[in-house]
Amino acid sequence: MIWLTWRQFRAQAVTAVAALALFAILLAVTHPQLASLYATSGFAGCQGGSCEQLADTFLGQLSNLTPFGGPQAFRLLPAGANLYVIVYTVGLLFILIAPAITGVFWGAPLIAREFETGTGRLTWNQSVTRARWLTVKLALTGAAAMAVTEGFSLLQAWWAAPISRAIDLGGSVSVFSGSRFSPLTFAAGGIAPLGYAAFGFALGVTAGLLIRRAVPAMALTLAVFAAVQVVMPLWIRPHLLPADQTTAAIAATHATFSDFSGTSALTATAVPGQPGAWILSSGPVNAAGQPVSTLPAACAQTAGSPVASGGTTASPNSVQRCLAGHGIREAVRYQPASHYWPLQLTETAIFLVLALGLAGFCFWWLDRRQA
Amino acid sequence: MTAVIEAEGLGKRYRGRWALTDCTLSVPAGHVVGLVGLNGAGKTTLLNLATGMLAPTTGTIEVLGGRPAAGPAQLAKVGYLAQDAPVYPGLSVADHLRLGARLNPGWDDPLARRRIDQLDLDPGRKAGKLSGGQRAQLALTLALGKRPELLILDEPVASLDPLARREFLQDLMETVAEEQVNIVLSSHLISDLERVCDYLIVLADSRVQIAGPVDELLAAHRLLSGPRREEGRLPAGMQVVSGSHTDRQSTLLVRADGPVLDPAWTVSEVGLEDLVLAYMKQAAGRGRHGHRHLEALT
Repeated sequence: MIWLTWRQFRAQAVTAVAALALFAILLAVTHPQLASLYATSGFAGCQGGSCEQLADTFLGQLSNLTPFGGPQAFRLLPAGANLYVIVYTVGLLFILIAPAITGVFWGAPLIAREFETGTGRLTWNQSVTRARWLTVKLALTGAAAMAVTEGFSLLQAWWAAPISRAIDLGGSVSVFSGSRFSPLTFAAGGIAPLGYAAFGFALGVTAGLLIRRAVPAMALTLAVFAAVQVVMPLWIRPHLLPADQTTAAIAATHATFSDFSGTSALTATAVPGQPGAWILSSGPVNAAGQPVSTLPAACAQTAGSPVASGGTTASPNSVQRCLAGHGIREAVRYQPASHYWPLQLTETAIFLVLALGLAGFCFWWLDRRQA
Repeated sequence: MTAVIEAEGLGKRYRGRWALTDCTLSVPAGHVVGLVGLNGAGKTTLLNLATGMLAPTTGTIEVLGGRPAAGPAQLAKVGYLAQDAPVYPGLSVADHLRLGARLNPGWDDPLARRRIDQLDLDPGRKAGKLSGGQRAQLALTLALGKRPELLILDEPVASLDPLARREFLQDLMETVAEEQVNIVLSSHLISDLERVCDYLIVLADSRVQIAGPVDELLAAHRLLSGPRREEGRLPAGMQVVSGSHTDRQSTLLVRADGPVLDPAWTVSEVGLEDLVLAYMKQAAGRGRHGHRHLEALT
């Protein structure tokens, strides 16, 4: 059974290894300059409070670096594009897409093809039960799917270690896809890719078993997986662990206005004393802790007429000072940085349990129902 | 001796439509069993139930004394050549033999290799590039290589040209003689089965119409012809399977327990093909009457 699984999986395995190898080459070629910048930036050996500034500087230098140290701009890339930002982002995308690819191209046809071509009636009539056939197929192909995704994830983690450290320490350069809690980065970091890979694969197998035709099963797998990748960070991940709450001075939270039309747009970008925290929601509150929904008249005057000002006449800082003078503070709900690994574990466990549940369903359906 | 197939009230329903109804059968060992019926009569359903590819909706089925596909031992006892002889197009002939060897503890490699040799199949050739006849032969080799006690073949010759058809059946019969294996094979053409089967099951309208050893079936049926007369006015012990009437003459195919003594009838033997067609026609007639009843009600 192991031989048959390998024989049927050979071509896909070669493709996967080739993709990993290409990615590894891309990273290996670009890594030396990244590493030397890291070493010479002074950020590598920084201690304590100086780090945030150095991290910022490092990311800034990196995003303006001319690839391979050449005197000329790297002509392959359009003006304004930076090789390191592109490689970093592409790496993240690979990690996010790999579970969908393996689910669609390895998972969905696994059983569907056997039905479609009738070969199931050949294989399932050898002296091997369908349950054993499915066990070996799921275990080997599923493990390969997880290994590929994890391979991308490990390569990326190695290459991007200085960037990740700089981001964790508060270096804020938005081109590097935000903090490690941001939707894309979280799902592509830590151990979460393993959970996504297992789930995507099991989802594909189940869709193939129920639909019995490979192409529609592939489409369904892709649709459901994409939906899960949207639903998880937006509606589920923030609630996996109880969030912390704090109220702090507006200035301390680096709260900024995105417009002047109302106070609800005053959003915090940092939690005092909690570097790297994931801010779920924030808004101004009065001295009694009640949410403030409209600007006090005096501050509105400072801001100028909401429509006319357009952010040009009044400095946002003066509005913030005015609000502070009225006893208005900023309330923040957040997941502290220390919740990163518990959240990773919880999310990965959820997807592994879902994957096992789907696999169990496949066993039951294939064995009890029909083939 | 254990029956090869023992079915009791067996039925299978797909999305509200019965593909097989109330099937009670006991097929003794030591036969080449022909399962004949029109397309859609339920042949494949019955065979898929016997191999455990389907689970019954009602009733039970036992094959060689065990529940179909219940475990590796049961699977090892039954070889199945499914309809259209499925093989993996991307795998070579040699790969298929290797598949058989890996997945069957009782695999008879010399037998399989000898067959591939005799059939002149190139082991390196991809199965997707074989002709229909070669593919059927490869699938049969896989089914035989596991040394089953029972070999089930679903429409093995349906997609073959007349020459390949004859060769396939001839090869099959030689193998049966050598290997002492029980065989059940289905076809919608009685002419395919006539030469090779000594036991017959006629399926029509998702029901078993008649089943038994071919010689007993032939001995129990007579073709009567004589002056026109009503089908109801026949002596006891005689059932009309089909009848055709002209103004002056009646021709009846009857099932008779004893000899036909009425001198008014000219009695003759029945051919297997006529017998099978008569039962199929009877089932079709019943189906039509059923529809008429429905029309009368609406």
